[in-house]
Amino acid sequence: MQEWLKKYFELLSMPEKLRNCGVLGMNARNYFVISKHNKRSLYPLVDDKVQTKKLANSIDINTPHMIGVIEHQYEVKNLLQIVAGHDEFVIKPAHGSQGKGVLVIKHYENNEFVTTSGKKLTFNDVYQHISNLLSGLYSLGGQYDVALIEELVHFSDVFKSFSYQGIPDVRLIIYKGFPIMSMTRLATKESDGRANLHQGAVGVGLSMNSGKAVQAVLHNVPITHHPDTGVDLMTLQVPFWREHLMIGAQAYEMTGLGYLGADIVLDKERGPMMLELNARPGLAVQIANGRGLKEAIKNVDKYYPRGLTAEQRVDFVLNNHF
Amino acid sequence: MKKLYSVRGILTIFLVITVVFAVAMTWYKIAVWGFSFRPSAKSTVWTVDAHISFKPSGDPIEVSLSKPSAGVAYKILSEDTVAKGYEIIRDDKNNRILMKSKGRRNNQDLYYRIMLYDNEDSTGKVWDDKPAKVQKPQFENAQQAEMVNAIWALADAEEGSAAKRIIELLNEENLAPEVDAFLPVKKTPKIMADKIIWLLSTKGIAARIVRGVKLMEKKRAANADIMLEVYEGSKWQVYNIETGTMGLPKDFVVFQRGGVSLLDVSGGYSSEIKFSVVKSVISAFKMAGSRAKYENSGLFNYTIYDLPSLEQNTLKWLMIFPLGILLVVILRNVVGISTMGTFTPMLIAMSLVRTGFISGFICFSVIIALGLLIRTLLTRLNLLLVPRISAVVIFVIIIMQMLTVFGYRAEWKVIASAAFFPIIITAWIIERACITWEEEGVRNATKQIVNTLFVAVITYFVISSAYIRHIMFAFNEWNFVILALVMLLGTYTGYRLTELKRFAPLAGKK
Repeated sequence: MQEWLKKYFELLSMPEKLRNCGVLGMNARNYFVISKHNKRSLYPLVDDKVQTKKLANSIDINTPHMIGVIEHQYEVKNLLQIVAGHDEFVIKPAHGSQGKGVLVIKHYENNEFVTTSGKKLTFNDVYQHISNLLSGLYSLGGQYDVALIEELVHFSDVFKSFSYQGIPDVRLIIYKGFPIMSMTRLATKESDGRANLHQGAVGVGLSMNSGKAVQAVLHNVPITHHPDTGVDLMTLQVPFWREHLMIGAQAYEMTGLGYLGADIVLDKERGPMMLELNARPGLAVQIANGRGLKEAIKNVDKYYPRGLTAEQRVDFVLNNHF
Repeated sequence: MKKLYSVRGILTIFLVITVVFAVAMTWYKIAVWGFSFRPSAKSTVWTVDAHISFKPSGDPIEVSLSKPSAGVAYKILSEDTVAKGYEIIRDDKNNRILMKSKGRRNNQDLYYRIMLYDNEDSTGKVWDDKPAKVQKPQFENAQQAEMVNAIWALADAEEGSAAKRIIELLNEENLAPEVDAFLPVKKTPKIMADKIIWLLSTKGIAARIVRGVKLMEKKRAANADIMLEVYEGSKWQVYNIETGTMGLPKDFVVFQRGGVSLLDVSGGYSSEIKFSVVKSVISAFKMAGSRAKYENSGLFNYTIYDLPSLEQNTLKWLMIFPLGILLVVILRNVVGISTMGTFTPMLIAMSLVRTGFISGFICFSVIIALGLLIRTLLTRLNLLLVPRISAVVIFVIIIMQMLTVFGYRAEWKVIASAAFFPIIITAWIIERACITWEEEGVRNATKQIVNTLFVAVITYFVISSAYIRHIMFAFNEWNFVILALVMLLGTYTGYRLTELKRFAPLAGKK
């Protein structure tokens, strides 16, 4: 009985506690942050990856090189001509989200396509995948989509030991051009190579000053070692941190979105590359960092200087210890 | 921040206005139209038929009948006359109804029908004009005077008002010799009433006959019932002429009182009036409609309750939508349950209302299960998305057909309700479930279906309640309140209930 009462009171006091810690809820995010700082007309810039890539390239932000685009069903059969000369490539929906519908081909020969996980697909399978993608299976509103074919990212070995499978990327949250919070998501056996926290991936909060791991979380519980690889997660430090932040800060000028998420991957040869932008980034980053976004946003509004260039903003973030 | 507060302020004012409006309308509907919160509220309605018959003399006919006035013991639901070829004149001022016609030859049968229902606030005391000073009757002889004195002497020995004493004395089982001598052998209520009035007049007390109908079931072709009205103090007091009980009984409908006659027929003779009474029980809601119409409440004609019942039923169905929508908004934005499609759970709940919960639930599960099976087979065929989802839609229709036919043949109603489910929605649930299954695993797919069904079930229990449906229909002004609430919820920026658990590890950290 007492235990029950205790739990009840704990729940009652929870909103107050969360508020004190500056945790941003979904409703508050939508009302105060997104609807206030993100103009609806700017969404297509980030919702369409082809547009994002073109914009990014125009201001010299690194992105994976585009091999080609398939816009119509009749073009699907030309896939082999499009990817001619590339032994490996990635097919992704231009309007996709959360990595849905991404097909990574490591190698292909004759009628056999091999994915990263070693799964073998026939040309028909790939054809089918692109057809589904075009008819909008993976797009946000189910509208007709475009298949974007780009070069494979050669992941830096830095993260190799940290992740069970898949590609750890860095998620930056950028508010008014200032990167304010970041994390990296590491796939686990349980998450089946995927990087979604609710599917059992590990979230690692990163220090904004250094790109060093602050804390790691698995299923909402803080951990120190990766459950599958056993590596000490606290030793994780993202190299080229300044370059990472630069991409995020430049994305603000590029899109005009006051609140956005940037997914950045680290390529062995080309360094940090922008993978995609998101106008409605999720709130899991708070859990990974053990820190509320609301407070970070408030700090930017109150104390951060205005009228800085992207470079100046990154320097400010690197040296700032809020 | 400031913007939020001003928006919230405006919406709060809007909410207050809608609440005030809804409360006022609800009060009006209950007080004036007699609506009730209970869907099953029943009212007793008495139908009194007055059958007037007479032989015409050939002269122009004029029948004048005294009719009950509204607001005495009963309220009038409707009035009707059956008198073919007669000109009907309603004289509400004198509470009479006039039926005029040219001279006729055959026996005439006219009907006046009045439907009455309970008036809770009847008191039995009726205010009326002060009567003229009563003329004390002249006694025929000393013997008569002596007899009257003797009767009064006997009456004075008892308790109660003069009228009560006299009535009781005249109704004793073993009459006193003086009384026995005074009363005639044939004791009809009319004669008794006349005798009582005469006796009272000897003391200067004004009294008169009240004619009406005592409401009893299965009363057929009965004479008018008679009661006595005595002027006491400053008001007319009604007495039962047999028991001396004071006060107008609740089941007595007054047709005529005072000096006027109950029925006047000119142009005819051997006139007779007989009353029949039928008791019926109808829903208070239905009655409210007729009542509002009788009272000529113009407002009523512009409400949904005056529409034909087919339209009413459609609207009754629509009226519960807003409540379902409010529920979905709360479950999504305040509780934070994510479902497949925003209003999908509500649409499922609507179907469950039509099919019945258990049978609908089983049937829906069967459709989804069969659909998923077929969808899995379709995956192997590698069809394009739109044709594939279309195929699923057609398969769902075929499944529904088969289940309905099979259920009907097997007389298994559980299955026969298949046709009520929204086809496209069902197909999309199958498609989404299948994709989620492939992409995020069985656990997430199941979780999404369970969430959707959970919200559907909650919505079902709210909208299937006969009470709530009745209230949302009878007091549809509350839909404005729901609108204001939904808009106000649009400014809710607090945590969702599920977020409390999600962000729990963050609590207490700084």
